[in-house]
Amino acid sequence: MEFDFSPVIDYLPVLLQGVGVTLLIGVAVAVMSVVGGQIVAVITLYTRKMVNWPLRFFIWLFMTTPLLLQLYFLYFGIGEWILIPAIVVGVLGLGFHYMAYNADIFIATIKSVSSGQYEASRSLGFGHLATLFYVVLPQAFNRALPQLSNNMIIMVKDISVLSAIGIGEMVYVSQYAISVTFRPFEFYITITVIYYLINLMMEAGQTWIERRAAYRS
Amino acid sequence: MTQTTETPMVELKGVKKRFGDLEVLKGIDLRVDRGRIISIIGPSGSGKSTLLRSVNNLEVIDEGQILLDGVQVNRPDLKGLAFEKHINHIRQNMGMVFQHFNLFPHLSTLENVTLAPRKLKGVSASIARELGMELLERVGLADKAQVYPSALSGGQKQRVAIARALAMQPKVMLFDEATSALDPELVEEVNRVMKGLAEEHMTMLIVTHEMAFARDVSDWAMFMDGGVVVEANTPEHLFSHPDQERTQHFLRKHLGTQG
Repeated sequence: MEFDFSPVIDYLPVLLQGVGVTLLIGVAVAVMSVVGGQIVAVITLYTRKMVNWPLRFFIWLFMTTPLLLQLYFLYFGIGEWILIPAIVVGVLGLGFHYMAYNADIFIATIKSVSSGQYEASRSLGFGHLATLFYVVLPQAFNRALPQLSNNMIIMVKDISVLSAIGIGEMVYVSQYAISVTFRPFEFYITITVIYYLINLMMEAGQTWIERRAAYRS
Repeated sequence: MTQTTETPMVELKGVKKRFGDLEVLKGIDLRVDRGRIISIIGPSGSGKSTLLRSVNNLEVIDEGQILLDGVQVNRPDLKGLAFEKHINHIRQNMGMVFQHFNLFPHLSTLENVTLAPRKLKGVSASIARELGMELLERVGLADKAQVYPSALSGGQKQRVAIARALAMQPKVMLFDEATSALDPELVEEVNRVMKGLAEEHMTMLIVTHEMAFARDVSDWAMFMDGGVVVEANTPEHLFSHPDQERTQHFLRKHLGTQG
């Protein structure tokens, strides 16, 4: 079998567009799931069980069902009543999915901040909320970073699942290119390399962030 | 101790505190006048730390009154947000130093010192920085301003913690076994900072195991055991000629000798 990468060169603009979509979705989902994860964790920890049970149910639901099912549910299920654009469903679905995982991490790291930290902050005159914002959450965030960045690396790969609802991310556009050019190997090899490079960059970022956080916790 | 007509800086009246069935403070009365330094000594579990933490309301007392400069600290009549507002305001006037330092690890030394003035008093970043540097200078750590707590020794951490408490310009400083977690060779540097404060007539309440330091620095010394003040007197008297047998026994164990 002979490899011919010239179709890949021809379809490079399409592939790069797919890379762009993947990265954009990645950033949106990362922001949503990290910010939302913290909010979910704080509400779960600091409100009464009666109030926060829907949130705990939400975490449980998203952690015990497959991502693909969640996407189908949001897109085709709810789509029977309201048609939500695929890209919105993709970001929300993936965002909620990882929000649940991140919330779980934040719950653990918020709990791990020692009572001495609360006491030091309160003794200076900070209230409950100020203590949470200035003292507890920044420390919980630093401690969550190793697991958070692991989750984000897995999340970027999971963006490929969005091809199932027709979002033009990397896998989807290469499928399209393959259907026209009939060169599956060349395209799969190319996007494998691109995924590898993205991962390499994320791992470098992870190492840098973790080193910085370790010094500050 | 000599009573004056002046409002005491800290006053405790019949303070009682229970943990479940265990009564750890059994009716404590104490008067600390402005600029005075009171040392509280006693065995573990005597209630001395609980007493100090009660002054800051980190422990909520069950009975009695605690007053800071004439203002009642514990307010059983206030609930929820009203009490929160009250106690946050009161606490801004008290500096507390803990046995385990409790510095904020995610902030630099300077940020540890400036966080409260900036966020609570609205002091601008540049003025807070100036104030912070001044305080770090005072505790001998100006060169560590940009360093994070993880890179400091125990003694250095505790000195930063003192600077952090001083940054709010408190009326009184509370020291809860400030040197108990330190290696012996690091105790002196913290004691020196505390002595410096004493010379500046800061009102201080010091819970300590350092008998020599307590004797040296304080105006008044209290021996607590079993949730009561067994004996209180001038440090010369309390440490050299304690009246009560429990005090004598405790000091013999801690000093090796009674005098």
